[in-house]
Amino acid sequence: MKKCIACGMPMQEISDYALGDESKDYCKFCARPDGTMQSYEEKLDSLTNFIIKTQGLDKMAANSAAEAMMKKLPAWKNI
Amino acid sequence: MKENKRQLQKNSTRKRIIEAAVNEFAVNGLTTTRTADIARKAGVSHGTIFAHFHTQEELLTAVIEDVGERINTRLHEIAGGQKGFSLALKAHIEVLMEFEPFYTRLVIENRLLPKEARDTLLMLQSTVSFHLSQAIQKEVEEGSIKKLPEDMVFNGWIGLVHYYMANSDLFSPEGTVLKKCGEKMIKFYLDMVTCKNKREDD
Repeated sequence: MKKCIACGMPMQEISDYALGDESKDYCKFCARPDGTMQSYEEKLDSLTNFIIKTQGLDKMAANSAAEAMMKKLPAWKNI
Repeated sequence: MKENKRQLQKNSTRKRIIEAAVNEFAVNGLTTTRTADIARKAGVSHGTIFAHFHTQEELLTAVIEDVGERINTRLHEIAGGQKGFSLALKAHIEVLMEFEPFYTRLVIENRLLPKEARDTLLMLQSTVSFHLSQAIQKEVEEGSIKKLPEDMVFNGWIGLVHYYMANSDLFSPEGTVLKKCGEKMIKFYLDMVTCKNKREDD
């Protein structure tokens, strides 16, 4: 089972992959509508908002947590 | 990539250290356990620990990461896909039960941990909140669960579970608090978020 290189989510179903394409290394949540992978800034922004929406963290704290999470993932290691 | 013998051995030692650390941290605390004790339990020299982890902080983060990864994988296995909110809650309790002593320490000592370790815990909670919000979405649309702020739905649940775990000595002095009170928590929480009468709630 592959894990999304950009957010770490395990991709079990074909529908978890970007555009339902199993050859891709990133998931549907990390893809733009055209299927390409989101940029670092786009992902940081969406992850920050996700944390705020689902866990209610303060904006700065959520941003710092999102940065820390992304640092661990293959897609952003060298950024 | 095929690993050579040396690499395999290195990985197995690392795994052994992490395993011993999980147990020692669970018994003696995350911030107070001595690396010398972990080394003894893992059957390695004290120096070997620092060959694998430069600092005690690095070891702690690696251990939280490792347990977090296992919790995430198990949660994904049990609660992945569209299986309903009540099952997602049950799965969460079930998975935490597998790691209860260590996780309890994590809950109690959270604020005392270095930032990297706390970020790792937050990452774990994000996966949990993701599963719960996925599970709840469909039922909110169907009208069987109240439409409530997502963050409060998550924090309400986590708050309940963590409170019982942090005070397990008061609720369940003789054993696992999740086993003793888990079902009661799930039932109470479900009652709180479920629509008794759809029309009235609209």
